[in-house]
Amino acid sequence: MNRIATLACLLLLTPALDAHAAAIVGEPAPALEARDADGKTVRLDAYKGKYVVLEWVNRQCPFVRKHYGSGNMQSLQKKYTEKGVVWLSVCSSAPGKQGYVQGPEAKEWMAEEKAAPTDFLLDPKGKVGKAYGAKTTPHIFVIDPKGKVVYNGAIDDKPSTDREDIETARNYLSAALDASMAGKKVEVAATQPYGCSVKY
Amino acid sequence: MWAPTMLLALSLNPPGASAANVEASVISERPSVAPGVPFHVGIRMRIRRGWHIYWRNPGDSGLPPRITWTLPKGFAAGPIEWPIPGRSEENNLVTYGYDRDVILSVRITPPATIHATSITIAGKLDWLECAEICLPGSARLWRSLPVSPGPGVRTPEAAVIAAARARLPAGPEGWAFSAEAGPRAIALDFVPPKGIAPREAYFFVDKPLVTEHATPQGLERTKRGYRVTLARAANAAGNLARLSGVLVIEDAGHARSRIGVNVDVPVSRGNPAYRAPTKPSNRNRQGERS
Repeated sequence: MNRIATLACLLLLTPALDAHAAAIVGEPAPALEARDADGKTVRLDAYKGKYVVLEWVNRQCPFVRKHYGSGNMQSLQKKYTEKGVVWLSVCSSAPGKQGYVQGPEAKEWMAEEKAAPTDFLLDPKGKVGKAYGAKTTPHIFVIDPKGKVVYNGAIDDKPSTDREDIETARNYLSAALDASMAGKKVEVAATQPYGCSVKY
Repeated sequence: MWAPTMLLALSLNPPGASAANVEASVISERPSVAPGVPFHVGIRMRIRRGWHIYWRNPGDSGLPPRITWTLPKGFAAGPIEWPIPGRSEENNLVTYGYDRDVILSVRITPPATIHATSITIAGKLDWLECAEICLPGSARLWRSLPVSPGPGVRTPEAAVIAAARARLPAGPEGWAFSAEAGPRAIALDFVPPKGIAPREAYFFVDKPLVTEHATPQGLERTKRGYRVTLARAANAAGNLARLSGVLVIEDAGHARSRIGVNVDVPVSRGNPAYRAPTKPSNRNRQGERS
């Protein structure tokens, strides 16, 4: 609670960023607390010491469908969770808006898509999304074991809804995780995310 | 004006394509092509009420339309000439684009000699159309034109393209621009030509990760002219070398007129203060989008 209060104060003192909180590369990741699809409370603090990927999702958005319909997102989830990375899919669609899901529906969708994140977080009030400055679906954040943001942006460098583009795209998420996990500097640490707007 | 008989262009959406809210076609300034004489075509996009498409920098989400031309040998197409965009804000996310019918003009340069009696200008147009939700759209466009020397007659389509091009962002001749940037803010200083007194101004940045699109921009008088202040993007990388985009102003002298000016200036290093607008009107009233 204290941490959240401190963060709120800091944000109030930063006029350029008022009302536009964001996960800033090189700085501590904003606090995160949300219910998962099973109704369990998930906190970012609990994953200290591990790499964490946050992936904003809206199952009906054509950009999200590009990466799930092709199997790209699932294979990234599988590849990195097998390496010990914590992968949290986050849905910030508000009730009545596109992509809004409740727990059972989210689980059904994950089973259908064979999605393999560590957990699926429900953020219907957009609290987490706004704290991170999540703008699009997908929008990717990578947090290192110390809790610092090491990547914020697009999943790759081909902003389109064409599945065929995936093969030739440069995947920023993989590049950031691979570099960071190898103790190297993340070459491209911030990009403009592309996709549908998050349906707050 | 838009009688179907004058639209010789064809636009075919693949059967069952879900993008049904934008209709695209290509129109030509000239009824025929003369060897070596450049002319303009227009990608006309008719947008269903309530839907929008995007500018070259879409802002916080979205995608600009993209055209991939298939031209006869020796022909060259220039870049899309983007009309002045509007902006829309929803849930603290700001996007730049168009929600009315729009003409994206493109200059076509034919080769000096053409060994054919007619040619076809074709292209595949891809776009994203959004209302509350977004759908990808795609259309194959083409236009066949006879080859004939001389200017040919002026067609009604020529007037449509001319009108659209007359509204394109102008300059920067007649305007003086300079910019400085610090960790928090970017200040764009400008002196307009005589007779223009900006009542409101908004700078549409055309590159990602330069400004926070959703943070309101400030406008103030300076000794020599005006200053627009922009919030630096939270994740801006390193120093900003140039600032480019389109400055749109509403002129105090002409209540309803919107003027767009092309900006591309080097940025000096400083530490300008971010100044929020003094009145909320800067926030959400300008533009072609409601």
